[in-house]
Amino acid sequence: MADQIILQPDEDMTFWDKHRLSLLLILSVLIALTLTVVSMVAYNASGTAQLDLSRPGVSSVSDKVDRTDKITEYSGFGAVNKDSINEFTKLYDAQAEKAKAVDAFNGDPLNPEILEFGITANE
Amino acid sequence: MIRALSTLAVVAALTVLFGLSAQTAHAQSTSLTSEQIDHIRSNCTTIKSTLNQLHASDALLRVNRGQVYESMASKLMGPFNSRLSNNRLDARATSAVTTSYRTALDAFRSNYKSYEEKLSSAIRIDCFNQPELFYNTIEQARINRAKVHDDVLKLHRSIDDYRSAVGDFLLNFERISE
Repeated sequence: MADQIILQPDEDMTFWDKHRLSLLLILSVLIALTLTVVSMVAYNASGTAQLDLSRPGVSSVSDKVDRTDKITEYSGFGAVNKDSINEFTKLYDAQAEKAKAVDAFNGDPLNPEILEFGITANE
Repeated sequence: MIRALSTLAVVAALTVLFGLSAQTAHAQSTSLTSEQIDHIRSNCTTIKSTLNQLHASDALLRVNRGQVYESMASKLMGPFNSRLSNNRLDARATSAVTTSYRTALDAFRSNYKSYEEKLSSAIRIDCFNQPELFYNTIEQARINRAKVHDDVLKLHRSIDDYRSAVGDFLLNFERISE
């Protein structure tokens, strides 16, 4: 038996039947907006924003990120003997030297005198 | 009599509170003279340019240093502690240093975030129309940047402490193995 399409008279349709496409669109936009707001809040609150070098103002340095420094991961499994400890100390010393090579965020570039505010630090 | 005493206590408490809030307000903001305000206005563009350069260079520094500090914990300290534990060896000393290292790393991330937010906020301020707010925001960013530097020094100390702990472990291990 062939399927028959039964058309419902307009007056029998409820409000939801008449506007279901519009409701679907509105609901989709609302869900998308909510998810976007949640993502942006998470992006800013988690500190990810500070690591994003594609942001306006910091994009000029994005090509200067050090991508060459690939550290060898020490295995958490295996025997512990003098050789394995020496292997670790060799890896560790090399990485520690790199970590301590830069005294990051030293100096006082925001000092009013350096920024030429015309204000001495004691004021 | 009781009413008089209670009134006196309330007045004393209010005076202390007022004094404390006034002190805090003084610590948080500095009033500038008209000459200083004029100086900020005349150097507004130059200062903004310097702040923008610092913002970019510090962002790069945060990413590069952060990678190195993170890898120390996740690729070296953590696995070494696990290996000691897997072999039922005493990893308490190295684990304790790793914990303090991770605490310093968390503080580094958090303080950098605060610093970056203050610096970005200062960059957004109209220094010509709001020179005092601009100055005070930069002062707060300056304090936060000093905290980030302190965190870096703590991380460096923990790196040395961990190396010492491994050295001590090796000495004990050799003594027991003999």
